Amino acid sequence: MQFAPGDPFATALEGSDVPPSVRAEWRERFGFDQPPGERFVRWAGALAQGQLGYAASRHRPVAEVLREALPRTLVLVSVALIVGFALGIAAALGQVRYRRRWPDRLLGAITLAGVAVPEFLVALLAMTWLGARWRIFPVAGLGSLGDAAAWPLWERAIDFLWHLALPAGVLALTVAARVARHQRAALLAVMHEDFIRTARAKGLREWDVLVRHALPNAIGPVIALLGLALPSLVGGAVLIERIFGWPGMGLTLFDALLARDYPLVLAAVLLATIIAVVARALTDAVAEVVAPRRASAQ
Amino acid sequence: MSGATTWQRLRDDAAARTAGAVLGAVILAALFAPWLAPFDPTVQPDPVSLRLLAPTPTHPMGTDAFSRDVLSRLLHGARISLGVAAGAMLLSVVLGTTLGALAAVIGGWVDAVVSGLVDVLIAMPRLLVVIALVATFGALSPGWLVLLIGGSGWLTTARIVRAEFRDHLQRDYVLAARALGASRRRIIWRHLLPAVAPQIGVAAALALAAVIPLEAALSFVGLGVQPPMPSWGNILMDGTDYLTTAWWLVVFPVTAIALTVGAALVLADRLRVAIAGGERTP
Amino acid sequence: MTALLQVEGLCVSVAHPGNSDPVSLLRDVRFALSPGETVGVLGASGSGKTTLALALMGLLPRDFTATGAVHFDGHELLSLSEGARRSLRARRISIVFQEPLTALNPRQRIGAQVAEVARAHGERNATRAHRLAVEMLSRTGLDDADERAHRFPHEVSGGERQRALLAMALLLDPALLIADEPTSALDVTVQAQVLQLLRAQQRERGMALLLVSHDLGVIATTCARTIVLHEGHVIEDTPTRQLLAAPEQPQSRALVDAVRPPEPAP
Repeated sequence: MQFAPGDPFATALEGSDVPPSVRAEWRERFGFDQPPGERFVRWAGALAQGQLGYAASRHRPVAEVLREALPRTLVLVSVALIVGFALGIAAALGQVRYRRRWPDRLLGAITLAGVAVPEFLVALLAMTWLGARWRIFPVAGLGSLGDAAAWPLWERAIDFLWHLALPAGVLALTVAARVARHQRAALLAVMHEDFIRTARAKGLREWDVLVRHALPNAIGPVIALLGLALPSLVGGAVLIERIFGWPGMGLTLFDALLARDYPLVLAAVLLATIIAVVARALTDAVAEVVAPRRASAQ
Repeated sequence: MSGATTWQRLRDDAAARTAGAVLGAVILAALFAPWLAPFDPTVQPDPVSLRLLAPTPTHPMGTDAFSRDVLSRLLHGARISLGVAAGAMLLSVVLGTTLGALAAVIGGWVDAVVSGLVDVLIAMPRLLVVIALVATFGALSPGWLVLLIGGSGWLTTARIVRAEFRDHLQRDYVLAARALGASRRRIIWRHLLPAVAPQIGVAAALALAAVIPLEAALSFVGLGVQPPMPSWGNILMDGTDYLTTAWWLVVFPVTAIALTVGAALVLADRLRVAIAGGERTP
Repeated sequence: MTALLQVEGLCVSVAHPGNSDPVSLLRDVRFALSPGETVGVLGASGSGKTTLALALMGLLPRDFTATGAVHFDGHELLSLSEGARRSLRARRISIVFQEPLTALNPRQRIGAQVAEVARAHGERNATRAHRLAVEMLSRTGLDDADERAHRFPHEVSGGERQRALLAMALLLDPALLIADEPTSALDVTVQAQVLQLLRAQQRERGMALLLVSHDLGVIATTCARTIVLHEGHVIEDTPTRQLLAAPEQPQSRALVDAVRPPEPAP
């Protein structure tokens, strides 16, 4: 898996006084003198026994590094998902309610831009203006209370949320744009159905027709689609984490790549994939519960 | 619903025409960049007195930190960015169509292998995979980028084509053609591919819309097209150092990216609507 | 007796994007309906029957335009605000659609869909609305209405679905019920039952009924008077018995010849 020249000791010890003989000894001890193919086989064998190996760039076991980073990414991604989903559905409902009028066009332009503008630029803009210029939000990190344990819990919580706001917010916007575009299309398809006409014939308000009759019949595909879009969300989170210095899976992976710490890289990609697979199974199940496929009874 | 009427509906759609015009203009700009660009995109005429100039008649989009003309860099960057994007799109669509079609037509273990592969690979974050691979190989030439990005983008197309092919294989006209003794090859080329072409068009437009931001994201982490060769991604990346001081370094490249991606997305949307038979009126 | 519904010079047209000329669906339609009267609207498909029904309900799609005058129950419908029209729907003027499976929300229980009519018109108590719905479901002939109310549309039969739609339409005791091909999607035996139910409910409540159908057989057993629509025009407006005996227009003759009604209405 490692074709590039160099190894963790080359980067970690760049410019240090560690003599070449010592480096060679370390390489031998950690197996970096073996050919890549052999090392990959060894890594896979160890993995099968539940051993993730040692993250040389962190001077800690891989499992320990990931155990620390994973919850941070999960918090970031799930907050972004929940907020983004709510915003996206609200936008789509507004668009369909005021179809072909200015709210529809305005939101349509915004959501299109939300998909078309690279998210790292949105993140940088948010950081530059909301963070550095206007100082509304902190620019980076998990918290800024120094010795966190000395502070009361609620202050730590607020500090955490305050630091979460920008990265999660930017990620939520990109989710919202995608959800809104798909939800709008799904709603419009349902609005042609006969039961929508029935709902109107009952004397329901247009908003109730949308929320009570159209949405429940149009949300299933969007939830399922979200499961499919999750990998790209995780990918986006890598850039966001890097920009905002959010020490989750993404930043860990990124630093590990720069340090050529392959056990950590492989484990992180593997974990991200497993999470994406599990999340997809989960969203499919949720979609099935929220909107079971119509039984074909006639 | 024949293919001709789908394309006809698409031509009659104002939004689709606008999106097509935008894409066409960007492609023309890329093709004729050497004649359109007023300056050499890589020459640094005077890095001291001509750096970071706001837009003027001579430099309609200003100059960058190395005194290079932003308009010329964008035009030449379009060649690289669109070239990589078009190449990657083509590769992923051809790969996806071939594999999806084979899976549907042959079935059996071929279908099992392709579908299984798609199910596993689609769960892997594409950006991470590409970053990991590029980081492993070191910075890549545009040709390798095409291979890497295109080679990782065929999954969606394969899914769509497989599903559409399986659907059409059950339809009366295919059964009739079979009954008349048409060969499998003939059925695929004469019946199935034309029938599924609009769906492949949707997949192609979506692939294009996914590839351009991917190139930009790679540039952001320093693994994309390497300077001084201009690409939209690395021009934008260079500009992000001057977010608060030189707006033109960000606004113009991001507009180019967003317009192209947006046009591709709108085209995919409208094509889907055209396939569905337009918006029905009860 | 003053008319409950009076339609004067109603024209409906639709502008298709792409085509410059709007297409006319109804031209200068005029007729009146007294309280408690049963009138059939007969026409082949494409004659404008459903457009007429939707125009009376104010449920035409947005790209349709209606001109003329529709007086109903002291209101001029076409110039009424959307809010005022909404409050008339299901309360004073109701409709039953043709296809009961697609006309019901597949993801909502039948009882809830009926109760929603009451809730849309001001009933705030959910339990009371539900009780009202179950009661009406049993009055429209749903066996074991209490249990059926908890089922989803695909879990009951076609006839039961149509009864549920009828329960929605009748819940608030409207003055006019429009039935748009209410039996076309049903089996023949169920058709007869639903028609019988429709007649019984009409008589019991003394409400006016506008029965829209392409089938003179259906209209003849139910309606005293029949309006014949052809290409958006009213070409005949006569007692049903007279239409059966001697249709004036050739188009009506074709529709009359298409059926041999079992027995004309008295």
